[in-house]
Amino acid sequence: MRIWIKLLATYQKYLPPDCSSSAYEMEVPPDARVEDILAQLPVPLDESVVLVNGRTPQPGQTLQEGDVLCLFPAVAGG
Amino acid sequence: MYGWNGRILRVNLSTGKVSVEEVDPKVAKDFIGGRGWGIRYLYDEVDPRVDPLSPENKLIFAAGLLTATPVPTGNRYMVVTKSPLTGALTASNSGGFFPTEMKRTGFDLFIFEGRAERPVYLWVHDDHVEIRPADHIWGKMVFETEDIIRAETDPRARIACIGPAGERLAPVAAILNDKHRAAARSGVGAVMGSKNLKAVAVRGTRRVPLAHPRELKDLADQVVEEVKQAVAAGKSTLRTYGTAYVPPVTNEVGILPTYNFRTGVFAGAEAISGKVLSEKYLIRPKACYGCPIACGRLTRVDDPVFGGEGEGPEYETIGSFGSACGVDNLAAIAKANYLCNELGLDTISTGVTIACAMEMYELGLIPESDIGRPLRFGDAQAVVEMVRLAGMREGFGDLIAQGSYRLASHYGHPEFSMSAKKQEFPAYDPRGAQGMGLLYATSNIGASHMRGDIAYMEVFGVPKKLDPLSVDDKPRMVKYFEDIFAIVDSAGLCVFLAIRYLFEPTYNVEPVRITRLMEYATGAGYDEETLLRAGDRVYTLERMFLVRAGFSRADDTLPPRMLREPMPDGPAKGRVVELDRMLPEFYRLRGWDENGVPTREKLAELGLL
Ligand code: SF4
Repeated sequence: MRIWIKLLATYQKYLPPDCSSSAYEMEVPPDARVEDILAQLPVPLDESVVLVNGRTPQPGQTLQEGDVLCLFPAVAGG
Repeated sequence: MYGWNGRILRVNLSTGKVSVEEVDPKVAKDFIGGRGWGIRYLYDEVDPRVDPLSPENKLIFAAGLLTATPVPTGNRYMVVTKSPLTGALTASNSGGFFPTEMKRTGFDLFIFEGRAERPVYLWVHDDHVEIRPADHIWGKMVFETEDIIRAETDPRARIACIGPAGERLAPVAAILNDKHRAAARSGVGAVMGSKNLKAVAVRGTRRVPLAHPRELKDLADQVVEEVKQAVAAGKSTLRTYGTAYVPPVTNEVGILPTYNFRTGVFAGAEAISGKVLSEKYLIRPKACYGCPIACGRLTRVDDPVFGGEGEGPEYETIGSFGSACGVDNLAAIAKANYLCNELGLDTISTGVTIACAMEMYELGLIPESDIGRPLRFGDAQAVVEMVRLAGMREGFGDLIAQGSYRLASHYGHPEFSMSAKKQEFPAYDPRGAQGMGLLYATSNIGASHMRGDIAYMEVFGVPKKLDPLSVDDKPRMVKYFEDIFAIVDSAGLCVFLAIRYLFEPTYNVEPVRITRLMEYATGAGYDEETLLRAGDRVYTLERMFLVRAGFSRADDTLPPRMLREPMPDGPAKGRVVELDRMLPEFYRLRGWDENGVPTREKLAELGLL
């Protein structure tokens, strides 16, 4: 199945070179767990905020077709 | 005394009398400095029921304990007074260079009393204090005011002043310093205007005495080094994009205020982001005094309609003039920001008030003849025009200048005002960040992110991520953040640096390094417990001012939209702020009774009886 990886703020530097928006598609096995996919991404996870469809994922949560897995660096904002 | 100057400059504008007072060391330690000291003096000296724009109100400039020390971001002051916007007290924060210079004059606080008969400005050069006529500057914009006063005083003078909005007593008027930095909230500019005080200019050459200078310098250097490494590694989001990096983040979480907080998702979020700001308009990042982060943005917009140059916009400004007004034109948002700085307006309250007017206009609740033009969501030119009118209080701008609550009430529908205690929301829709909802509702100064920005944890994951949709543990965390923000404000540091580098990066966010820094500065015997209690004390004394001003539980609330209209779409879809589930526990943890009034036991515990 396919999901979206969305990278915000300074993590945009980790986007594939041909990606013109903030997100790209990724083929993952059905029922892939959030943790498994994160381990494949090039971002420093211990400094990241991770969201699935804008919400906080539960430990062990599995992904569904079309889900948006979003990451951005943990920084205080406005 | 170490760390503090221990001296207050009192300026009676009615009589022209200037006096110097010493600060009691116990008061100094118990209330830390900055915001805490300001609150203590306001509480002792101002009847909470006075008209905020009368000579009986006082205006206090308060530099922090660590302001003008080697601690990075020790560059802030607080403006403390009774607010004409909310009727409560306020403490409005600003950085830049003025606060450091102010503390170097050898005073920690300036207290302004009474009202000058004619416009004046104050010039303080170390011990030389002079009240000067300002008739020739009255009516001038902020930038020109600064330039004139600098030419009349000292090329290195730092200046805080009001623009036309403050002179015209607009309840959303700010005090600008260093041209682009604002103590923006709660109408502090109007209080200054009511005193006929156009500006304060300072030049200070004194060093703040430190109890343990070497230890302080070592720890300060270590923090600076850590920030520098993050910047060098390209990890400092605030350096790279400023706070403007935030709109796509809050949009992803579904709390980017859109169309006057009808919804939390905005199709134009990317168009108003820091990336676009950097690519199109950034000249260079700009730092306040002693700050290794440099989140400020010096920008220029080349555009026939929205052209200009200045600092900003920051996230809050993008939220208010951008998504809240349905505007996805970053050039227009920057222009609105530049104009606010020139006119001396709060960008948050002004933008959210325009958004309120837009919604009411579209619903047919405000006739076009009153406004003088159509005022639809997304109309960037209209936003800029409304800012101009608000700053001068001309035409429909006179209503905008009074804030959304008065504007919406004028047309019989206060429920369209997105405010708490009549102060406009910052750019987080609290339906999707429950802790922010509790914070807005209970904040002593009305809705504000600077009272205890729990969005750090709910949204930004600093120092740890909380689920923003959950109410679990939020009363405790909000209370804790309120207390630690009171500490940071009283220390005169910037929260961007302090929360990340001076507190433990754990769920408990202990004030480890900031305690050491305060102890090195003062030698007064601070430990973590006394410091946290001091934060609690400051917060509680503020509350006592509100109680005496007539506020009660009924005022600790939110607009009906937040409590009863479920978020229509996005990740927070279906949610309202569950205030009733959080408020009783919050009061209990604060040691306040069911009406939000501090109990006698609590006051005794904090030494406030
Ligand atoms: S982080 Fe930004 S606001 Fe804070 S002191 Fe630095 S430049 Fe100023």
